[in-house]
Amino acid sequence: MRFSPIVALLAALSAGTALATPPGAPPAAPAKPAHPDNQYMKEHGYEGPKTCEVCHPGTAKDFLQTVHWKHASKVTNVKGLDPAKEWGMRNRIYTFCNGNDIVNNLKEIPANAAGKTKFAGCNTCHPGNHLSDVGSTGPAAEQAIDCLICHSSHYDYSKRKPYKTADGKVAIGQDRSVEAALAVGKPSVKNCMTCHESAGGGQLIKRGFAFDAAHDVHAAKEMTCVDCHEAKNHRVPTGFDPNNWANDGVRLSCVGCHEEKPHNDAEYDAHTAKIACQTCHIVTTGGAVAKDFTKWTKTETGFYEPSTIKRAPSDTKPVYAWFNGTVENKPHFIGPSGARADGKSKIYPFKIYQGKAFYDRGTGQLLSMDFAQPTANGDALAGVASAAKTLGLNKIDPVAGWQTVYFANSHLVTKAKALTCDRCHTPTGVLDFEALGYSKAEIAKRKLQSAELWFEKLLTKELKKEE
Amino acid sequence: MNKLAAALTLAAVVVLAIPRSAHADEKVLGTITKIKMASGDAALAVLQDGTSGKTVEITVTDKVTLDKFKDRRIVEGDEIKAKYEKKDGKNLATFFKKPGGCS
Repeated sequence: MRFSPIVALLAALSAGTALATPPGAPPAAPAKPAHPDNQYMKEHGYEGPKTCEVCHPGTAKDFLQTVHWKHASKVTNVKGLDPAKEWGMRNRIYTFCNGNDIVNNLKEIPANAAGKTKFAGCNTCHPGNHLSDVGSTGPAAEQAIDCLICHSSHYDYSKRKPYKTADGKVAIGQDRSVEAALAVGKPSVKNCMTCHESAGGGQLIKRGFAFDAAHDVHAAKEMTCVDCHEAKNHRVPTGFDPNNWANDGVRLSCVGCHEEKPHNDAEYDAHTAKIACQTCHIVTTGGAVAKDFTKWTKTETGFYEPSTIKRAPSDTKPVYAWFNGTVENKPHFIGPSGARADGKSKIYPFKIYQGKAFYDRGTGQLLSMDFAQPTANGDALAGVASAAKTLGLNKIDPVAGWQTVYFANSHLVTKAKALTCDRCHTPTGVLDFEALGYSKAEIAKRKLQSAELWFEKLLTKELKKEE
Repeated sequence: MNKLAAALTLAAVVVLAIPRSAHADEKVLGTITKIKMASGDAALAVLQDGTSGKTVEITVTDKVTLDKFKDRRIVEGDEIKAKYEKKDGKNLATFFKKPGGCS
């Protein structure tokens, strides 16, 4: 980070503020510097990317190459994919969301039994205007980017709604007011979570919890999403997740901030060679555990939803598996690849999700679904037929089947409730050592399920705490 | 047999006569016709029930929903699924969200 005179001045000012803080009170947060060119926008107004590009030339064109715009990328860590093609929400066929941007494109769906219709589609969260859609390129696409939905702290979300243009196309509105533009800055948690909390068909369905102080130790320390997912040129670093394929080619992990041996305890630190941080520090998981896309449930709104079983964040215990970053990808299974002996894997925690959808009897491949028809009248097969037509599949023979998907557990991080020795190393501990590749003889020899392994250590710690 | 019938009838009368718990949640699915920000930590939302057409005033105090009123993620005209409990003459929201949807 460059240390400019302005930063020095701000540091001095914030230090002065801290000195003036009454004893016992938390220090005031340093004042956030205003966006340096607000004056330009006050004088010239705000016209979307065209205005941003006055100071950030080339940024819009560059943004069109990111996952946030393309909803896809080349994927090198998932088995069975053509590495020359791009994969992601745009075109994936799986059972957490059985639609995708192509087959379940935003549109006005058919009227339901009560004569009601609405706009719906997977790409509702795409930061364009839908006229320039997922993966589009060129000058019109560059000017369609909704910079402020991620960067303004005063965005009027009521303006970001689908509507029909005069020529009958479906577009999404944007807040391009000067007021919103003057509040430009780094994305806040709200900027990110307005879209990301709604993944998978509604608020908190995917994970079951918000990124807030009650649910994550990082949020409790007032960290924001972009403190860890710190983007460079709008390329957002992400971890490895069997469920989440598209990436900007930049990866992150806990050791980007934390040391490799962070515990001040040699035995705990030794675990980090084979145990991922998340395994001990994310002890529960939540959100949808199963969905049935073959059977839609009518809701009180008169529309239908995929039948979904979801759980509170503390209700679902993770499963643990060796994971080396590569992903098994079969029609009925998407999950971690890895083994104890491969020299690259660590034990990670996962949420197991099971989804039921239609497969093609002839090819055995999973079919995707347009949600317009089932949302209106519950007819899932009509949705499959519509998707097949969009994809140019002439002969399909749909038959229902289940797919298991492993979700990485990367949030809901705790320090206070992290697993301790006694949570794993007992006969009923959370780790199934035999399933993880340890023989009965080794488990017995190394006392992996015995209090003998940890009793003295924990007793000493607890006595120290009492002191 | 007559005694049994009388006992069952009496039990049914007793059950029906017991007032429902004051804290039982009421539900409504309706359209917001008005949002009044009462103060920094409360707002009053008027919902028109989609089925009966009746209006109900619901007091919202949770921070997340108030924030959605402020940045207009929830505005007048939106369809809302709400649950509320009657307390001190007010309908206090215990749940106040747009209905979910694969949209």
